[in-house]
Amino acid sequence: MLEISHLYKKYMNSERFSVEDLNLSLRPGEIFGFLGQNGAGKSTTIKCLTGIYPFNSGKITICGYDIAKDPINAKLNMGYVPDNHSVYEKLTGREYVNYTADLYKVSKRDRDERFDRYVSQFKLTKAVDNQIKSYSHGMKQKICIIAALIHNPKLWVLDEPMMGLDHQSMVEILKRMDDHCAEGNTVFFSSHNLDLVAKICDRAAIIKDGKLQDVIDLHIKGNKETLEKTFCEITATEQDHINEMTLLRRN
Amino acid sequence: MNIKTLLKLEIKNRFSNYSLNSAKSYFKLFATLVILAGVVYGVYWVAELFFEMFDKAGIIYEALVMLVSAVFLFMCIAGVSSNIKVLYYKGDNEILMRYPVSGEEVFISKTLFLFINQTLVTAVIVAPFLAAYAKVSGLGVAFYATIPVPIVFLVLITFFLSNILAIPIMQLTNKIRNKFALIIIGLAVLVTVLFAVYMILFNSMVTFMNDKEFSVFDDRIVEGIGNVCKYLIPMKYFADIMVGEELYIAYPVLIMLTGITLIGTILVIVKLYPKTLLNNVEVEGSAFRHVTRNRRRPIFFTLLHKEFLQVFRSVNYSFQYFVLACAMPVMVYFCNNITIQLGQNQIGEQIALGMSLLVMLIFATVITSFAATSTSREGDNFYHTKVAPVSVHTQLAAKFVMYAIVSALANGICALVLYLTKQFDFNTSLWLFAVAESCSISLTLISMRMDINRPYFNLSGEGEVVNNNASTTLSVAAGFVVALTEGILCMLLSYLADIKLAFVLENGYIVEFTTEIMFYVCSGIAAALLLIAITGYLFRLKHAYNKIAK
Repeated sequence: MLEISHLYKKYMNSERFSVEDLNLSLRPGEIFGFLGQNGAGKSTTIKCLTGIYPFNSGKITICGYDIAKDPINAKLNMGYVPDNHSVYEKLTGREYVNYTADLYKVSKRDRDERFDRYVSQFKLTKAVDNQIKSYSHGMKQKICIIAALIHNPKLWVLDEPMMGLDHQSMVEILKRMDDHCAEGNTVFFSSHNLDLVAKICDRAAIIKDGKLQDVIDLHIKGNKETLEKTFCEITATEQDHINEMTLLRRN
Repeated sequence: MNIKTLLKLEIKNRFSNYSLNSAKSYFKLFATLVILAGVVYGVYWVAELFFEMFDKAGIIYEALVMLVSAVFLFMCIAGVSSNIKVLYYKGDNEILMRYPVSGEEVFISKTLFLFINQTLVTAVIVAPFLAAYAKVSGLGVAFYATIPVPIVFLVLITFFLSNILAIPIMQLTNKIRNKFALIIIGLAVLVTVLFAVYMILFNSMVTFMNDKEFSVFDDRIVEGIGNVCKYLIPMKYFADIMVGEELYIAYPVLIMLTGITLIGTILVIVKLYPKTLLNNVEVEGSAFRHVTRNRRRPIFFTLLHKEFLQVFRSVNYSFQYFVLACAMPVMVYFCNNITIQLGQNQIGEQIALGMSLLVMLIFATVITSFAATSTSREGDNFYHTKVAPVSVHTQLAAKFVMYAIVSALANGICALVLYLTKQFDFNTSLWLFAVAESCSISLTLISMRMDINRPYFNLSGEGEVVNNNASTTLSVAAGFVVALTEGILCMLLSYLADIKLAFVLENGYIVEFTTEIMFYVCSGIAAALLLIAITGYLFRLKHAYNKIAK
């Protein structure tokens, strides 16, 4: 579904690689969590695979289409939800979703059916004809998700999708992720929430300083429970250990 | 204490680009003063001509009354607009309301700047006018000494009045802020009428300049102006103070008006300002409801539709773009009319075509400079353009087509107006359209490419470009160079063709300037520019676009 091999990405005017020799392979029907501290290279990787950033070397294929050589077909198979939930705020929710559906060549029948289903699932029925600038943080996130799913992508990529969402909204999104995978599609999302990743993901990868450290199969017994410990062991610095010890002593 | 802190904050905000330790700042200050002196002299020169024209008709006092009325109205409108912008809509209101400061303190700290600003603008505009009036009407030193008095009254009354009017006008604006078509039509009519009035006045002044011996007004107009001026109250009292007439009425009325408007302002600040401010922070996020059905469009049209809505649903963008395009034909018509009148027996007719081309291209420059923010305006939504399964060329083509439609309509209507008013024949009008549109397309492509090379994603909370980027400045500069080159060449070559200038080359070949040469040269320049613009735009376009990493 998604193949990343030997990905290297260095920003202009930067001395070091933000992503270095990253290899990943995602299977159909799985939810894959992407973990790492702030600045570890999660968002950069996602922006490279969605075509937002060019990369220095390596290969990224989505459903067999190379994002660098055949970007149109690669993008047609992917839906993306950004971390900043930016949308065209002058449009109404419906106009925005229709705009996206047009770009992804979704038929009238499919868009009507999916639109009604998602709008009702995410409880946006009343607001969908309002201008997006009146939406709350969570509503904007939901309209982004509906727009990303309107063409029923085989690969659904989300960059920190739960940030700032209330419990109900999180549950709605998790339910949709689960349903999407049940239909044989793949979900790839970055997160800081280790509990959530442990609970819903089939596998998780940990990235540190742009390098992939480990890919953990969460179906293997004991891995779910030890995910936090493994994550801390891989990513924590000496200062993090000192901070943690101080907190433990205080408790 | 709070007022002092807030005032300091306001000063730092306004003059953040200036530093007392930097030579560049001093240079900027010096340049500003030089430009200001130029403006004052320019106003004085125009004012002198203005009063001379009315003096010839024996209505110089009425001219003064009309002038003061115009200034009064302008200051009220400008004052209300600045008040709404600075006091109610400015982004920092939300931040300020979190601090333990009262509404009155916020008001005073912000309003002080407005007041100083209004005083300076009034002085710069009104003082040269009054000085010119004194010179033309032969008034003595005593008159010059009274100049500050009407200025003080003008500043105070218009300032207080705009404070009182700001809240109801703002509430009205909030009510219609989402009626975009209505706003655009209203603004287009207003701008067109203002241009027309300005051009009619300018036309009269040009006629007067041609022959200062005769009055440009007939008896009926003189009588009409006299009657109207009698009823321009309270504006006529400012003029009365200046000329020393009916002082026993003028002073009490103006003092009373100052007092009433001051009391009104105080009541507004105490009773309504904090409440409105809080309410407005909420209203700013308000949006409209537009119930539609799901509709499938071809990719190109959906991109075009989105682009149109992004501009149409913004009053700022619509004004910069659609409204100026609407005003363009009026301006071109009047300019051409004036040019022809400028010298029916001189060179007016010969340079009329060049003048029309110049004016059309200057307007086209202003309109097409909007394309210099075509990519920057995407702001945080820029990622959409990268994620979408649509080629960069198609996405940019949709933007270009929207700009081309607007410029083609504006240029087309201009040419049509010139043809229908019989200023030019059909072929000349068609040629004018072709050259202007070709240059407009070139400028659009140049502007778009400049923005792609160096986008500047600096947007306000409403998702709109707050500062024009360097590409806009360069685009305008490039447009002016093109307009001047084409316009001046057209005028010069037409003139040379008219006087039938010819010269002999070394090989004995005779070169004679004809109208055809002018057409070929101007068309050639436009075609060459178009070719360069298309090549420059397409050169490694995808590479340049993919390099943008927002």
